[in-house]
Amino acid sequence: MNERSLAPVHLVLGPVIWSAWFVLLYGGLSVACEFAPPDPEQGAGTPINVVMIASAVLLAVGLVYLSYRCTHGGSAPLTGTHDPARSFIRGMSSSMYVVSAAGIIALTIPSLVLPPCL
Amino acid sequence: MNEPSAWSGRNREEQMADVWGNLPGWGTLAAVNHTSVGLRFMATGLLFFLVGGLLAMLMRTQLALPEQTIVEPDLYSQLFTMHGTVMMFLFAIPVLEGVAMYLIPKMIGTRDLVFPRLSALGYYCYVFGGLIVLSSLVLEVAPDSGWFMYTPLSSREYSPGPGSDFWLLGITFVEISAISAGVELVVSILRTRARGMSLNRMPIFCWYILAMALMIVFGFPPLILGSVLLELERAGGMVFFNTTGGGDPLLWQHLFWLFGHPEVYIIFLPAAGIVSTLIPVFARHPLVGYQWIVLAIVTMGFVSFGLWVHHMFTVGIPHLAQAFFSVASMLVAVPTAIQIFAWLATLWQGRVVFDLPMLWIVGFLVVFVCGGLTGVMLALVPFNWQVHDTHFVVAHLHYVLVGGMLFPLVAGFYYWLPHISGRMPSYQRGRWGFWLFFGGFNLTFLLMHLTGLLGMPRRVYTYESGLGWDWLNLLSSLGSFIMAIGVAVIIIDIFLHFRFGASATRNPWGADTLEWAIPMPVNSYNFLSMPEVSSRHPLWHTPELTDRISAGEYGLADARHGRREIYLSDAVNGHVSAIVPLPSNSWLPMVTAGALAIVCLGLLLKAYYVALAAALMSLTVILRWSWENGAHPAVAPGGDASPEEPHLHSRTSDGPGLWGMVVVLMSDGTLYVSLLFGWFYLWTAAPEWAVPDKQPISVALLVASGLLLTVATGLYQKAVSRLKGGCADRLGSLLWWVAGLATVHWVLLVLTIVMGSLKPQELAHDAVILVALLYLAIHSGLALIMTALQAARVRFGYVGEALPYEPIVIRPFWLYTLGVFWLTVAAFFLIPLVWTVA
Repeated sequence: MNERSLAPVHLVLGPVIWSAWFVLLYGGLSVACEFAPPDPEQGAGTPINVVMIASAVLLAVGLVYLSYRCTHGGSAPLTGTHDPARSFIRGMSSSMYVVSAAGIIALTIPSLVLPPCL
Repeated sequence: MNEPSAWSGRNREEQMADVWGNLPGWGTLAAVNHTSVGLRFMATGLLFFLVGGLLAMLMRTQLALPEQTIVEPDLYSQLFTMHGTVMMFLFAIPVLEGVAMYLIPKMIGTRDLVFPRLSALGYYCYVFGGLIVLSSLVLEVAPDSGWFMYTPLSSREYSPGPGSDFWLLGITFVEISAISAGVELVVSILRTRARGMSLNRMPIFCWYILAMALMIVFGFPPLILGSVLLELERAGGMVFFNTTGGGDPLLWQHLFWLFGHPEVYIIFLPAAGIVSTLIPVFARHPLVGYQWIVLAIVTMGFVSFGLWVHHMFTVGIPHLAQAFFSVASMLVAVPTAIQIFAWLATLWQGRVVFDLPMLWIVGFLVVFVCGGLTGVMLALVPFNWQVHDTHFVVAHLHYVLVGGMLFPLVAGFYYWLPHISGRMPSYQRGRWGFWLFFGGFNLTFLLMHLTGLLGMPRRVYTYESGLGWDWLNLLSSLGSFIMAIGVAVIIIDIFLHFRFGASATRNPWGADTLEWAIPMPVNSYNFLSMPEVSSRHPLWHTPELTDRISAGEYGLADARHGRREIYLSDAVNGHVSAIVPLPSNSWLPMVTAGALAIVCLGLLLKAYYVALAAALMSLTVILRWSWENGAHPAVAPGGDASPEEPHLHSRTSDGPGLWGMVVVLMSDGTLYVSLLFGWFYLWTAAPEWAVPDKQPISVALLVASGLLLTVATGLYQKAVSRLKGGCADRLGSLLWWVAGLATVHWVLLVLTIVMGSLKPQELAHDAVILVALLYLAIHSGLALIMTALQAARVRFGYVGEALPYEPIVIRPFWLYTLGVFWLTVAAFFLIPLVWTVA
């Protein structure tokens, strides 16, 4: 990412994506269970669980990529001395992307074992 | 940097004091200065704390022994409702806002908050709203449904008296105060920091307050919406939470806890900010892991919005959904732990000076960690089910809130006391208050965990003997009285300190932040000249900074023009870009809040014409307020700044008002999204959701109205684009054209509502649509009025080619109004239509 694209918005973009995903996860689960509840006997092996897990993996990979771009994609390295404020934002943004990815993975773990609508 | 001139020293100080000082006598009520307003918030909050504490003592007296009737059950319900309400809404949040309002400008090296009149408005809304809520106690009609006002218990059917109305209207009024403080703090922190104070050099306290303020901005609107809907249901008979007609009481719980859980962190974060500020000072060592802590603050701010359902684990939500919130509730312990380990590491690395504030910090660490651990226990669904609504939860929440907020707050009071009094607190006297409070607190609440585990439910006015709870309750009550004695000792100590405390030297604790570069007791303008910083610890790395500021060596040291001036700086790197002339003392905030209080009372007394008249009066006062803005001579006497300084912000297109507007719209948008949530929630989850046979309004008329709004918005964009490009030809007439188009749009919108066949008292479907349409009408009306006002200001020369400030500020409002209009059409009419066809 170049300096221009490393606006402070990157500080919160990761958590914003996490939040939006969480809202969709909870809302989507409620709607799916209202209109197309799978048989509880199926356990965690339902299309709903698959969609949740797949979306989580995709998003987490995307967030880790964004984190990598923050630290390695620009012309100036993280440790550059040209602008401490920019370096700070760079480091913080990168970390926030990783934290958001970890949050998504953590929240997905119950989908591996629990039926969605019980 | 300014050259010291012959006109310096005492003359400068007197001039500065004249410009920044409050009016004498009763005129002090017109003060807008952040120091005065911040201190008033804190003093008023402490008075409410004493009231809330008194209510708690009454409850503990009643529960000390089994089967007592000192307090009757009805009164007991009022007591626990009002105790929670007062402590959460009238003490915890306002007092922390007061701390933030007082400290933030001083810490970031400026002279005031960026919207001083908003600060004062917030204060008066808080006072008047708080008095309205408290008056219900005096009138013996206090709310009694719990501080969370669950429906249907708080609905008209089960709470026919006015208690719930007092709560809903009074607390909504107080929330205006919180949101105004949130907006104020966000913009001030981001745009008015000292020259050179880049984000990475910002004091850690400012990060905490920034997060808190943003959380207020996003966290309070769901409750405001919920309160409005519930009041409409109670007073107007509309259907939102009543299952008959398609409502759902669980919607209230969602809206309440969407606010309620972040609120815990809104309270905790500033207190943690105090801890992060004090520990490095007393450890004589920079905070270990500054970046880690910033990371933890941001993470906590976001995760705290994902926990609300853990208050609703027993309402029948699917297990998997509960598991999501259970995991999220455990995740929030991670950023908390990061902070605790960073504090411990700082103490470990430093050479700790153990003074009075540190005593309270250690108390915080002990109590809060215990509360955090029981919090993780409560995040586990099966355990949560077991102890739900028992005294275990009461014990947990007091460990978190008192440990996480009150202990750091008292530490902070003692730490910053020299600022106000010019005197040092005494360790010898102060420790008595600490130990009494700490001992009493743990005696009360540690045992209460056990009472809860033994099955004693909360919110019961008495209990039978022989259930194993007798001795626990007696000791808890004893502990609460010891705690109360501790509070009394602290108050006496603070009063005594004003008389007997040793005189404080400048920067008495050896702190690193700019608030200690100010003379003590504090003055009205903070800094004689605006400081420049080159480090995160300015007073450690540049000790001579204090003298240079006082000598007027930095910017804006000359106040002979009579303006209250501060710098506007870049949000990231702290480069100064403009000068902001701030409004001086003003009665407008108090009059506005007074008019809003009459609106509130009018609604309470069902005197709707009085409420309407007061609403119009408050709108008129706000228009006057808006008139005296930007380049108006009342705010910016003396024309532009001197040539060696940057322009006044009204001459630029990047003033703080634009940022303020965007932050307000973020809050407004959250309210709208909460409404959308309510719509979709009721549609999918309400057990008796029903849709009328035919469309209750004319969608064609609505779309026609929307097309006019689109044209008006486009025209406004064109006017502003030309203005930013330096062309103000026919600006006034263009704005009048926009206002005219908006008027026709507004009339069509109102006709859509009036001519429709909405039955909001029978169907939740229609009630939500009506609220959505009223929301649109209010926004369109405001856009129209604001534009007409600016068109008039063009005529008076307050807006023009060289003064483009206000039209640029209003532009996002137009875009927002247009956006929510079409979103409403899509969500409330288009999607249901497509769904029905599909």
